[in-house]
This record gives sequence, C-alpha cells and structure tokens, in this order.
Amino acid sequence: MSKLSYISPEGLRIDGRRSNEIRRLNMRMGVLNRADGSSYYEQGNTKITVAIYGPHESTTQKSLFDRASIKCEFAMSSFSTSERKVKSRFDKTAYETSTLIKQAFESTVLTHLFPRSQIDIYVQVLQSDGGLKSAAINAVTLAMIDAGIPMRDYVCACSATFIEGSALMDLNHMEERSGGADLLLSIHPQLGGVISINMESKVPQEMFESVLDMALAGCKKIYYLLQEQVKKHSKDLMSNQLVG
Amino acid sequence: MNTIVTPGQKLCKDTEYISSEGTYVHKGSIYSSVLGFSHTIKRNINTDNNNETTTTSSSGSSSSIPSEYNNSTSEDKRDYIVVLKEKEPGIVPEIGNVVTVQVLRINPRLASCAILCVGTKALKETFNGVIRVQDVRATEIDKVEIYKSFRPGDIVSAEVISLGDSRSYYLSTAKNELGVVFAQSVVGATMIPVSWNQMQCPKTKTKEYRKVAKMDIAGTDQDDDNDTENGHENEKEDNNNESDQE
Repeated sequence: MSKLSYISPEGLRIDGRRSNEIRRLNMRMGVLNRADGSSYYEQGNTKITVAIYGPHESTTQKSLFDRASIKCEFAMSSFSTSERKVKSRFDKTAYETSTLIKQAFESTVLTHLFPRSQIDIYVQVLQSDGGLKSAAINAVTLAMIDAGIPMRDYVCACSATFIEGSALMDLNHMEERSGGADLLLSIHPQLGGVISINMESKVPQEMFESVLDMALAGCKKIYYLLQEQVKKHSKDLMSNQLVG
Repeated sequence: MNTIVTPGQKLCKDTEYISSEGTYVHKGSIYSSVLGFSHTIKRNINTDNNNETTTTSSSGSSSSIPSEYNNSTSEDKRDYIVVLKEKEPGIVPEIGNVVTVQVLRINPRLASCAILCVGTKALKETFNGVIRVQDVRATEIDKVEIYKSFRPGDIVSAEVISLGDSRSYYLSTAKNELGVVFAQSVVGATMIPVSWNQMQCPKTKTKEYRKVAKMDIAGTDQDDDNDTENGHENEKEDNNNESDQE
C-alpha cells in the first residue's frame, strides 16, 4: 500500500470507528487524595490525569484584586509518546495547550467569588494518542467539578477534521498527522456558547460547516458521557456517606 | 427535592427563587454552579442571612447579581435556592463568631492559639489565632499579664474581633462569658474555677491564675470543666439542654 488510506471502502477508519464516532471514554473522579479535585480521563489510548489545587491564597505577586487567577501547567510524561523525547524547558505546544485550558476556564469558573486567590491546574499526560487538547479540557472539567469550584457550565471539547472527502470526529494520532483541518471546538453545552475554536489548516468553505457540525456533535456526545459520570460519581459518594 | 444537579444545569426561573450559594443567574434563569444537591430554604427562617447576602453583594465588585436582588429585602416572598456540595467546603471563622481555641504558645505580648470550633461546629482543620495582651479583658488592660491569663494547653472561649494579618485571626476574651473554660494543673488534673481570675487544682489545692470564663451565661458547648465536684449536676443540666434542643 503506497499511500495510507484513512477511511476504508467500508467507511471504517484506521481504528475501526465510523466517521461520526468518538473513541471509548473511561473516566474517574477524585483519584488523588492530596489534591482538592482530580480526575483520570481516557479517550481511546489517550490517558490523562488532572489535579486541581485551590482556590488558595495567591503564591505569586500577580494576585487579582477582584477575582481568582487560574494557573495551568500541562506536562507530557516522557513515556507517553512512541519515541522518548528529552523534555525541553520551553515546550511551545505544552505552553499553547496550557494557555488554551487557562483561558477556557477563566471564562467558565465563577472567579469573582474568590478575589485575590489562585486556582492551580496540573495536567499530566500519561499516554498520548492524539486529541490531547480536547481530552485535557474535558478532564479538567471533571476535576473542577470534583473540587467543587463553581462554574457556569461544563466545558466540553472535541476535535474534527476533513480527510478524503468526509468529516471525521475525534481524531487519533494518525489522523492528526494527516495534515487535515484539525478543528478544535470547545463549548458550554448547556448555555450554548462557544469558548474556543481553532483550526490548524485550511478547509474548503463549503466543507467547513460539516466539520463544525461534526465537532459540535462530538462535544454534545462527550457532554452526555461526562454528565452521566458526574451523576454516577455523586451517587457513589452519597451511598458511601450513608454507609459510613 | 434533593436531586443531584451539575454545573450549568438550569434549576428554575429567577422569579421563582432567589439565587444563593452554589447558583448563579443567567438571562433570567437560575443555574447550578457546582455539583451537589439542590435545596430550597424558606426565606422567613433566615431573614438575617438575607441581609448579609445583600450587603456582601453590594460591597463586592461582582456585576452578576441583578439589581432587584437588593430590592428583595422588602416585599419579596421568594424562597432561596441553594446547591450544597457533598464535600462540605468547611466553615471559616468570621468577625463576631465565638470560637473555641486551644492555646499553643504564650509570650508577654500575646497568646497564640489554634481555633478548633466555630460556635458549636468543629473545624476540619485548625486556624491560627492570637489573643493580644490588650484583648484579654475589658478593664485594667494595662495590668494584664499573659502568663496569668492563659497557659499552653488551655481551652479558651474567645470572640473573633478581626481577620487579622495573613498569619492569624485576632481574638478577644474581653467579656465575662469569654476566657478559659478548661485548664489542667501542673499535675494534670482538671482545675476548678474559684474566682474570675483563679482556678484551683483538686489534687494539690494550688491556685493558678487564669482569665476564667463565666460559664452559666454562655451556656452551650462549654461544660467541659467543673467535672469533679459538680459533675452530677452538670450532667443533669446537659440532659436538660439536650431535651430542650430536641
């Protein structure tokens, strides 16, 4: 096979999904004892843990007098990718992702309730198979809820692209490397606002709509799964309370 | 009632209820902002609470609280809607609260202590507080000596007078009902108060100086001392108190 084909004649993708399917989600909340809120999030082979500390007193000089500041650190474990890389101190992609998360949650968390304080988000990638940014955002949402930090809404993110004439939902690593559009959409699923939307490369204008719809549908699907998990987690806690 | 709600979930219109803790108002509707259980609180129960909320919201810089919130004090019949977390955020001492503290260290200027309880509620983790020498009692402030008022290990009932500096709350015992409620003598026996500034050890009969709290006014949660001589009476009182509360 000279050229890698992303979609088989039967309409299946490399990992066997159809174009409008997301990968299997597996998530847990409250996995770390020391953190105020934490989550473990699996989307296919992408595996992420998130720890949240705060709101606590600002450790830096840059405390904001009327609201909480949010700090985000995004780190890839050196064993998370197929080839081991020496981590550089100024990793631009990590910086980009952490800024994305920071901005998404600055607009979602009710920061005005905690003036002069700080919320720390630590994202650790354990295994990387594409869709890191979207997975990280979803994982942080879960950890925020676990921490009990007041938010306007969930933040749900999903990627979509356009390869070989059709729009694909939730890219894996191979599909991300195809050089397609790689649209990342994050939304407030209940309030119905877009938090961020960015695209890596160009897409024909008449196709953009279908890619955007695909990403939106992915966000909605993820929202329902997160919602289910949050309710299940809450019920578990409640049953534990009754026993204990 | 008591259903699990998640952030961003619509609870009701803001004409039905008043948005309170764990909720926010967006485009005329009240939404939950945390994961927890939705409760409604009757407004006539905490009329005082209502005043507090309005004052804090007007002093705060937040613009999210609509202006009718301030008018709601007068002729509003709406109940409050709150979302409480399953992980309790923990209570924090506030100015005016009566707190129960344990003295950790003393020096001539102040007694530093750990705040254990706020009112009748125990804290999950302690907060630091200091009782400065000028806040020990109301009269003859200049003659107060810390080591004649408190010793390390004493349990003291005190009032929060200021949030203090970043390290500790400022506490005061300058009232009759505030002061030492439980103290042990050098031999480890629980001492009995004999006057407003002295306590006696039942074993060795030595007297030690303390700023003693006058107990019968304060009433709640300070029955820890007097347990040697008047033990039975105290128990009876306790039972009465409990039945009253029930």
